[in-house]
Amino acid sequence: MNKIIATLISFFLLLGVIKAQEKNFAKVSDIEKTRTDLEQLTQKISTIKSQFIQEKHLSFLTENIISKGEFYFKNPGFLRWEYTEPFEYLIVFTDKNIFIKDEENISSFDTESNKMFSEINNIMTGTIQGNLFHDSDRFAVEYFENKQQYLLKLVPKMQEMKSMLKSILIFIDKSDLSVAKIKMTESSDDYTSITFINRKLNTTIDHDKFDIHK
Amino acid sequence: MINSTSINKLKTGVPLFIIFLLFGCSNPYKNITKTEFSAENISEIPYSLPKSEKTLIYKTSIGFYQRNISGLLIIKKTDKQNYRIALTTQFGLKIFDFALKEGDLEVVYCIEYLNKNSLISTFEDDFNLLLMQNKFEQIYTFQKDEQKYKGWVFQSGKMNYYYLMSKEKNQIEKIEQRKRNAKKI
Repeated sequence: MNKIIATLISFFLLLGVIKAQEKNFAKVSDIEKTRTDLEQLTQKISTIKSQFIQEKHLSFLTENIISKGEFYFKNPGFLRWEYTEPFEYLIVFTDKNIFIKDEENISSFDTESNKMFSEINNIMTGTIQGNLFHDSDRFAVEYFENKQQYLLKLVPKMQEMKSMLKSILIFIDKSDLSVAKIKMTESSDDYTSITFINRKLNTTIDHDKFDIHK
Repeated sequence: MINSTSINKLKTGVPLFIIFLLFGCSNPYKNITKTEFSAENISEIPYSLPKSEKTLIYKTSIGFYQRNISGLLIIKKTDKQNYRIALTTQFGLKIFDFALKEGDLEVVYCIEYLNKNSLISTFEDDFNLLLMQNKFEQIYTFQKDEQKYKGWVFQSGKMNYYYLMSKEKNQIEKIEQRKRNAKKI
């Protein structure tokens, strides 16, 4: 019980910090240097293991919908999102396919034939690998920073993407250059934010984690 | 901000399947003795979904034609006969956001490939059925399958809306909409 309270308190504190930070960001003066820094350091990340807290804000609800789970990333493009709350749900991205395990049902999608999934895949892997902000055809990027974090604001350029998303904010911790939080705001101003906590970089992750059948 | 007690997460009895039924001719409700049920007693029907004041979250799978969409269905009663119904993917991306006002469905947001009149009117029918929002002239109650099930049928002109409850589980297990007595859509 104490543990739960402690986790909740630290979560609220973390939220407080993030909220304060969003206001205290200033535009990056030397964009080229920031880009090179981000690029070099994200290249050094081969694996990420983390927990995540996802908050969905809908204008007609007074409380946000919270989902939680575990997240694994392995270079070049392997992702595992394992939702544990409020429902169990597993989604694995590999270089070519997306697998979803919902209860005992496994379904797979080809990223090339499924546009929506391929966009999600691009955003997720692109963010973590740090190449999304090079995609000047698809996004207009603005760079902000404060003492602790970089904040990248991506605004989609493509019409199809624009109708779904207004902006993507990516918060990157300067200490280890890993993504601390992603906030996706929809055209209606409803948003989803995903905060990564207890991040462990470059630990060994068994490749079975990206095999949904295991 | 987070108050998990006020969000009623329905982990049991999910997934909630909204299946667009095909035409069928068999009639399992033939030869069933029905007794009249007073509309005033409608609140006695043990079906909490339309009545709950809480935010309901269901894990949902919607199948139509060859496609399947799954995600979280969020239902919030905003007023006596008004609801907001939204579906988001597990990642949070909104698929649709509807306002249901006394049986009329208003599209607040809907992703392009679902925003077709025929689909929206099907959603309207399905959510009216699910949330017991159809207008009716008379309600009857009946027993089925050797008393295992108790049911209610709402009659409105040629349409019949069936709600079937398993006595064992004390929850509504099946909802159907039939024109005269054949299943519709």
